[in-house]
Amino acid sequence: MTGTEENTTSYEGSFSVTEAESVVKESIDATIGGEDYNKEQVNKWTAAILERCLGDLCKLGKTYKYIVTCAVTQKTGAGLHAANSCYWDTTLDGSCTVKWENRTMYCIVSVFALSIA
Amino acid sequence: MTASSNSDVRPVGKLQRVQGGAHHRAEVGEDKPIHGLYQVGGQGDWSVVGRFLGMCCFRNWDHTGGLPQDGDLLQAEAQIVDVAEDLGELVCTGPQQPGTDAIWSCSFPLPQSTSALSSLGLVQWRGGSEGGNGVNCRGWGRLGTSRIAQVDFPPKELVSYSKETQTLLTTHPLEVEEEEEDEEMDVKPGLDSEPPDEDDAKETKDVLRELTEEERQQILHSAEFQSFFDCSIRVMERALAEDTDIYFDYSGRDLDVSGGSSLSFSRLFYDEHWSKHRVITCLDWSPQYPELLVASYNNNEDAPHEPDGVALVWNIKFKKATPEYIYHCQSPVVSVGFARFHPNLVVGGTYSGQIVLWDNRSHRRTPVQRTPLSAAAHTHPVYCVNVVGTQNANNLISVSTDGRMCSWSLDMLSQPQETMELVYNKSKPVAVTCMDFPTGDVNNYVVGSEEGTVYTASRHGSKAGICEMFDGHQGPVTGISCHSAVGPMDFSHLFITSSFDWTVKLWSTKHNRPLYSFEDNADYVYDAMWSPVHPAMFAAVDGMGRLDLWNLNNDTEVPTASVIVEGASALNRVRWSATGKEVSVGDSEGRVWVYDTGELSVAHSDDWARFARTLVEIRASHGDEEEEGPMELSS
Repeated sequence: MTGTEENTTSYEGSFSVTEAESVVKESIDATIGGEDYNKEQVNKWTAAILERCLGDLCKLGKTYKYIVTCAVTQKTGAGLHAANSCYWDTTLDGSCTVKWENRTMYCIVSVFALSIA
Repeated sequence: MTASSNSDVRPVGKLQRVQGGAHHRAEVGEDKPIHGLYQVGGQGDWSVVGRFLGMCCFRNWDHTGGLPQDGDLLQAEAQIVDVAEDLGELVCTGPQQPGTDAIWSCSFPLPQSTSALSSLGLVQWRGGSEGGNGVNCRGWGRLGTSRIAQVDFPPKELVSYSKETQTLLTTHPLEVEEEEEDEEMDVKPGLDSEPPDEDDAKETKDVLRELTEEERQQILHSAEFQSFFDCSIRVMERALAEDTDIYFDYSGRDLDVSGGSSLSFSRLFYDEHWSKHRVITCLDWSPQYPELLVASYNNNEDAPHEPDGVALVWNIKFKKATPEYIYHCQSPVVSVGFARFHPNLVVGGTYSGQIVLWDNRSHRRTPVQRTPLSAAAHTHPVYCVNVVGTQNANNLISVSTDGRMCSWSLDMLSQPQETMELVYNKSKPVAVTCMDFPTGDVNNYVVGSEEGTVYTASRHGSKAGICEMFDGHQGPVTGISCHSAVGPMDFSHLFITSSFDWTVKLWSTKHNRPLYSFEDNADYVYDAMWSPVHPAMFAAVDGMGRLDLWNLNNDTEVPTASVIVEGASALNRVRWSATGKEVSVGDSEGRVWVYDTGELSVAHSDDWARFARTLVEIRASHGDEEEEGPMELSS
């Protein structure tokens, strides 16, 4: 379960990767922590994760626009590869991607924070 | 021109580029970083090659912290988007204490901008002192591509294997008794996995694979491997054991002269596995290959699971210490001989009464043919086997201790061609312990018995069966030998016998009492044999480990040469080789000793005449000692 760092130095008011990571992990664990893949429930789970993530990020109170994506994949032995990149203000903006897995499924959540002011 | 809305912003001065020249010239739309020195302040005209878009990083070279002053040089790093003429004013928007972050901004128009930030036309500097290097500014609003965030979940590796199996074609495995060979095969399996790859180097990669244990065993037990191994192992053993002497001096300077005229030890044949704890029961030299010697062995009481009867063929020509052929059977072999007219066959008489035949053409160590265990054949130990006759008409004669003599054809051992009970005077059967045929005679033979009497017998004719009785020994007769040296005179009527009564006696078939008795031994004399080349020589062995060579032309009282074998074990058998140069003895520990007789056994032309005279003397002296002279017999 790793995240990706955008800025090594964080300034006051800038995006904190570690903080976002912890928010995301917590919301995933709370939603699908002990569950097995269930095709009926997957949609509910992704919605729940997103809502929770966004809610927690906004509570941080920073002047950012957030974009959050969530992907849940069943573990069938197939490989899954994803990548993202952005063109933005490298000082103020940031993103964070969190990988999570359990016995039956993978979950990838990406958070993009774009500074407003 | 727009300015920052921050209340702390106040103009510092204008930005002027003073260095970093033409090579930084860029075209419209091209992103290129500008490295150069820009002077802060001053009112003069200044020109800039490109327009700053986004972040500019300014570093004050001369400043130790705080606000840049007029004349300060700031270094810029920026990306050019468009050519512009007016950069604008450098403004400080933050606190100005040394050691703290200061924000500088320079605003300038950006008619073309691609990001929301840059459309504001603001360039913001963040300052911070770094070790006295001055202000380190970082621009705000610089747009750039972020690092690519990648997420990877590799696919699950499916381990697949082929479910079909293919059993290899195997030939019928050889008998279990041949596991003996497996011990020797430790080195050999490597040979099989080496492919013939001289021609195609490409194929070496997939042919040189490790063989599994099963494949190895299959190859080891296949018939073609066994036959290949059987043949090549002999050659290899000989080659390994050979050590020819390159220093040999033919002038004989280095030779020990004295060794030529006495009995000298030549070879010892002993096999750790097959000879140990077994008594040698019989020896025979091969008529076709004078270097081959077969020895038969009794059972090994310490190893009840090993075969009871063993016969080993030894080779004196090569220095290898292992037998040429190893044969065994289920009953102790008490007599053995090469089949004279069948070079590949070895005949054995066993304790159970069976006669077994081994063939060195097959790779089996067990007999290829056996006589039946029936009342029609022998039911007692067969102590004598002999092939007599000619190439075209030959028979295997066997006599057992119950007095039965059987004549067999080697092609068919399922039943004897003729049988005869050897009975003396129609009363009791003769318990035969040894037998011999005079040279050239296929009809008459002599036998020695357990009671100490010797008989002559005939196979065919009106007097078929026991003919004459010769009395003289006081103990069982252990060995009998007819005179066999061929020379100008005929002594074929002579034979010698050895017995438990410590004597060797010389007889003539013409007299029913011994001609002479040799009494030099102090123990049971187990065997005696005439020399095949010297008319007056014979060898005798006794239970004290003594091998005696008697030359009657020299002395009739004591042996001419005598040697005690190492270890002084009882010697059971003695056999001269066909050339008369070697004599082999077998002892009770399973060892075959081969001695060189050297000069002793060379027969000179006058030896025959001398022997005739010796006989006359013997008879004369014998007649003096005894009260009764030997009776002349009609035969």
